[in-house]
Amino acid sequence: MTGIAVLETPTGWPAILLPRSAAGAGAADPADLDAAVRAGAFEGLRRAVRDLGATGTIAVVGASGLRGRGGAGYPAADKWRAAGGTAAPGRIVVANGYGADPASQTDQTLLEQNPFAVIEGLAIAAFAVGAEEAIIAVRTEATSAIRLLEAALAAASDAGFVGANVLGAGRHLDVTVRTVQGAYLLGEETILLKALEGKRGQPEQRPPHPATRGLRGLPTVVHNVQTLAAIPWILVHGADAFAKIGAADCPGTILVQIRGAGRSGVAEVPLGTPLRQIAALAGPLGAGRSVKAVLVGGPSGGILPSDALDIPYTFDALRAAGAHVGSGSVIVADDRACIVDLARVLTRYCADEACGKTIPCRIGTRRLSEIGDRLAAGTARAGDLDLLADLAADIVGSALCDHERLATLPLMSGMRYFRAELDEHLERSSCPAGVCHPVAMATSATH
Amino acid sequence: MSLIPGLGIVRGMGLTLRRFFEPKATIRYPEVRADIPPKFRGRLQLLYDEYGTLKCETCFQCAQACPIECIDMGGLDTKGRFHVHWGAAETYGERREESALRRSGRTVPDPAYTPFEGLDVGPVDTILEEHDHDPNRILEILEATQAKYGYLPVAALKRISQVTGAWYAMIYGTASYYRHLRFEPPTQAEQAAAMDARRPAEAAFLAGLGASLAGRAAGGASPAGRSGGNA
Ligand SMILES: Cc1cc2nc3c(=O)[nH]c(=O)nc-3n(C[C@H](O)[C@H](O)[C@H](O)COP(=O)(O)O)c2cc1C
Ligand code: SF4
Ligand code: FES
Repeated sequence: MTGIAVLETPTGWPAILLPRSAAGAGAADPADLDAAVRAGAFEGLRRAVRDLGATGTIAVVGASGLRGRGGAGYPAADKWRAAGGTAAPGRIVVANGYGADPASQTDQTLLEQNPFAVIEGLAIAAFAVGAEEAIIAVRTEATSAIRLLEAALAAASDAGFVGANVLGAGRHLDVTVRTVQGAYLLGEETILLKALEGKRGQPEQRPPHPATRGLRGLPTVVHNVQTLAAIPWILVHGADAFAKIGAADCPGTILVQIRGAGRSGVAEVPLGTPLRQIAALAGPLGAGRSVKAVLVGGPSGGILPSDALDIPYTFDALRAAGAHVGSGSVIVADDRACIVDLARVLTRYCADEACGKTIPCRIGTRRLSEIGDRLAAGTARAGDLDLLADLAADIVGSALCDHERLATLPLMSGMRYFRAELDEHLERSSCPAGVCHPVAMATSATH
Repeated sequence: MSLIPGLGIVRGMGLTLRRFFEPKATIRYPEVRADIPPKFRGRLQLLYDEYGTLKCETCFQCAQACPIECIDMGGLDTKGRFHVHWGAAETYGERREESALRRSGRTVPDPAYTPFEGLDVGPVDTILEEHDHDPNRILEILEATQAKYGYLPVAALKRISQVTGAWYAMIYGTASYYRHLRFEPPTQAEQAAAMDARRPAEAAFLAGLGASLAGRAAGGASPAGRSGGNA
């Protein structure tokens, strides 16, 4: 899909991932290598290969404080050290451009607007960890991003930035674009690697982490495409310049997918920006409407109330608030929405997408979804909210992959911040927002 | 409560002591083997949960783990036809609708399949040759096979298993997981619709989310047919 809206951000906000050219975004052909090189593309790779060397490159990325944009915020350089530190017959770098959340287009937007930054970041990471093989995994449905990426890759390869002899320095880097499709979970790294090996999409126990034992048993560094795209900027402008942008504990910018009554689209925001400011990019609500909640993180996101919006948009602050960065999705819900209904839509999708490999995944997520359904239908039992808390704790404690753990967030954050609304459904079988149509049986609500 | 203080403890310790000297039930397998009737094969059984739904997710883990491939999944397809694609019919009597196949939004394999389906596997061999007979490239092999035949004939999957040494259950598991792979020749309309359409599950999710945000109830049971409130 082309023509994804890139939202205007306040002037002065840094542009690292989606460079806003003077001529305006979209003026140039994103796959035009000469234009990109004139604008500074592959300068970072040159510095890495010619000046810094592998250890020097890892040191710079470490000093920049770059953390993974794939959701969990793991420090990039730590992953590289783990992969580089193992003796292995080969190493692999995988760019995760799958973009699992159907409602978020952040990664696809990046691939369409700045494919060379992703390729360059990939080449730098491969150089730093000593990988000769790199894969860019993209969702099959993202046909225009794939076309662009393939054209960009061919041009970069012809120019010697990747391929048989990178920058004439004697290192080999084989880059392929692989398309995957079929399930939400394919975005999770161990599952993505399974797909790349041609297996069913089910996660693996970690540790061993892919960085030490990944694709075909080889150390594999998996990075979100945004993480990779930030690396050339860091090498060109320096670790200090990067560390000054955004929040101290997670510097740099990140792409968010905004959805609101006014505007929807992708925006590049500095990490640490107050959530309220990010939500404001969605524009004004309809007349007479007020913000009720902001849903942060995608299908397994947390539902935060309007008075919790002053927290900074960082990995750790969102976690502490019961949400997560996840897919970068930020959805503004106005007062028409019912928290129970919203949480239930999200939980049900998470349960439907669970792979079935483990009990918390197979049974746990389904039981979660049933609690949501019971609340909405007005058939919830007296102890259901305690059951919810109990079940969520068990799932978090025993899950195999993060999907099940995160799937508890919509209902748990709903209960944490909107307890009165849940109680209303439970005790009086009524929906304050008038969305759910619970069975009206106030007298027998407890059974 | 006993009248003599501490008697309960003495009795308890007595039991412990007796158990301690009793012969143990634990057998030091594999040195020692239990005496099992020669025809015992264990028995696979599918269980239902308390809501009457089959517990099996068709996740294929048991089939992939079974060293002699005696476990497999077969059963009723979405059109209600009985189908067993491999293995003994009695191992699995039915297939859950809300399975990996349902998740992928497609119908399950052609029930008309017979194990000796006539198929020229020459093209499969060429494809395998091109992919170095590498079991790590099963997905690419399956895609090429489908491009050749228009779908994945079961005889082709068996051939791939035979030549690469990858277990049939693994190959079948892969083939049934990914939405773009199919076991029946598609109708033209299906083929066109499948091209860059979102998965049904994604479309349903986006529709539900949109409705919920606009203050409309997001609908009853999930597409999987899972019942909602079950009180
Ligand atoms: C259910 C689930 C879905 C995920 N989907 C994606 C995704 O679409 N894209 C992505 O980059 N990471 C996704 N992740 C995170 C990856 O597992 C992995 O942490 C990430 O790709 C690592 O890259 P980073 O170090 O750059 O963050 C997902 C994780 C989970 C649990
Ligand atoms: S396929 Fe096998 S392992 Fe998986 S749920 Fe069904 S019976 Fe259990
Ligand atoms: S989704 Fe099945 S184990 Fe995580």
